[in-house]
Amino acid sequence: MLQTLMLPLVSHKYLLLQLIQREIKARYKQSIIGYFWVILNPLSQMLVYTFVFSIVFKFPTSVPYPLFLFAALLPWTLLQGTITTATNSLVYNDILLKKVAFPREIIPYSVIAAKTIDFVFSSLIFVFLMFLYKVPFLPTTLLFFPLFFVQIILIAGISLCLSAFNLFYRDIQYLTNLVLMIWMYITPVVYPLALVPKEFLQLYKLNPMVGIIEGYRAVLFGERFDLDSFLWSAIVSVILFVVGFLIFKRLEKTFADIV
Amino acid sequence: MSNLPHILLSNVTKKFMLQGDRTFKELLPSLIKGNSWAQELQALKKVNLEIQSGETVGIVGHNGAGKSTLMKLIAGVTYPTTGEISVQGRVAPLIELGAGFHYELNGYENIYLNGAILGMHKEKIESEKENIIKFSGIKKFLHEPLKRFSTGMVMRLAFSIAVHAHAQIYLIDEVLAVGDSEFQQQCLEKLNEIKREKDKIVVFISHDEQAVQHFCERVVVLDTGKVIYDGGVKNAFDVYHRK
Repeated sequence: MLQTLMLPLVSHKYLLLQLIQREIKARYKQSIIGYFWVILNPLSQMLVYTFVFSIVFKFPTSVPYPLFLFAALLPWTLLQGTITTATNSLVYNDILLKKVAFPREIIPYSVIAAKTIDFVFSSLIFVFLMFLYKVPFLPTTLLFFPLFFVQIILIAGISLCLSAFNLFYRDIQYLTNLVLMIWMYITPVVYPLALVPKEFLQLYKLNPMVGIIEGYRAVLFGERFDLDSFLWSAIVSVILFVVGFLIFKRLEKTFADIV
Repeated sequence: MSNLPHILLSNVTKKFMLQGDRTFKELLPSLIKGNSWAQELQALKKVNLEIQSGETVGIVGHNGAGKSTLMKLIAGVTYPTTGEISVQGRVAPLIELGAGFHYELNGYENIYLNGAILGMHKEKIESEKENIIKFSGIKKFLHEPLKRFSTGMVMRLAFSIAVHAHAQIYLIDEVLAVGDSEFQQQCLEKLNEIKREKDKIVVFISHDEQAVQHFCERVVVLDTGKVIYDGGVKNAFDVYHRK
């Protein structure tokens, strides 16, 4: 099991690297500002959300709203972008599936890696905003990494599942877009968790992204870290990954026949 | 001995499910009427085939005879429904050329991408790069994105990468049909060179009788999923034409 899990990262390392490069390079070819879109997209989203939720609705947040938003919006964009692209990734590479044998999970993995690189670049705006608002970086910021790791595990599990299912029925890609939109609104991305009514809170926290998003805010802005929520997120993520991986590997042998 | 390429198929049957248009609108009536929704198609029926190192085998058959399915099984992208297949050696498939290309990337970038897809490592690609470029004969276009290439040029590049992939098993599926006669000649020469190395296997699908006769010593004739002939080139086309 562990060997199958690591195989694409060891023996097919160079292929994975090439596919990641393709994903990044090809996306903004024949565009003028090219890779800068990675920064421009969240930046314009931030301006809109800031206007709506900070100026019109006046949500109470402990740090300036743009910072509060970005700590959640950037990881959310990573999740949304990765799942959307990964779901289509096998369909998009159909000829490859019919031509050459290699561990198929390399294809969704390359999407995850490419989007993570985008995430790192777009995070530069966050760093810039921290300086702009003179909010100091706390030592707890280092806890960002375990949180991020859990998020990647979660994304990988979902991506593996959906990319395989989408080969069988293309409905999955449309359904995914719909579910992602709903999922964003039941996650404290644009609004603070404090606004969620107490009677719903237990139910609300079943969403594994709640623990992760709130975790980011806690470690970046020095708020109380909800360990229970985080552990729940970690457990759900690992289970989803294992299930996703097993389903993917089970279906893998039929990919070339049904694509 | 174990390093030599070897292909063995024993009793291989491959079935496909033909589901027609798989929409809900069609699923529902067929469920109510009780018709079977999916139709079964046997692409290969109990095929036995062994190919040894050093052999060059032509696969001949009418459309739908199962040639491409056989290639996919050998390439390891699909698996037999029943029966066993064992393939030893790294496979370089030249099926559906240019499959591993990205048309927004330029020629050089595509050499690395396609090389990686064919299982080459970075060092290997770098050491073969000059040979690949030289063989393709399209050096001056390589800094352009692939979408600006003509079909023939894409084929040249794809073929060049594949023959320099240092694989042990080459699967060639009707690919020579594209390029001009000069390049076709160049390809056949290169394939003859590979053939002479004696530790390779070349499996060759073509409707071009001359190419098969010129190039292969052994021909397998497939008809509706069955091997109806396996032997020398001379009699192969008699059997094929009788069908």
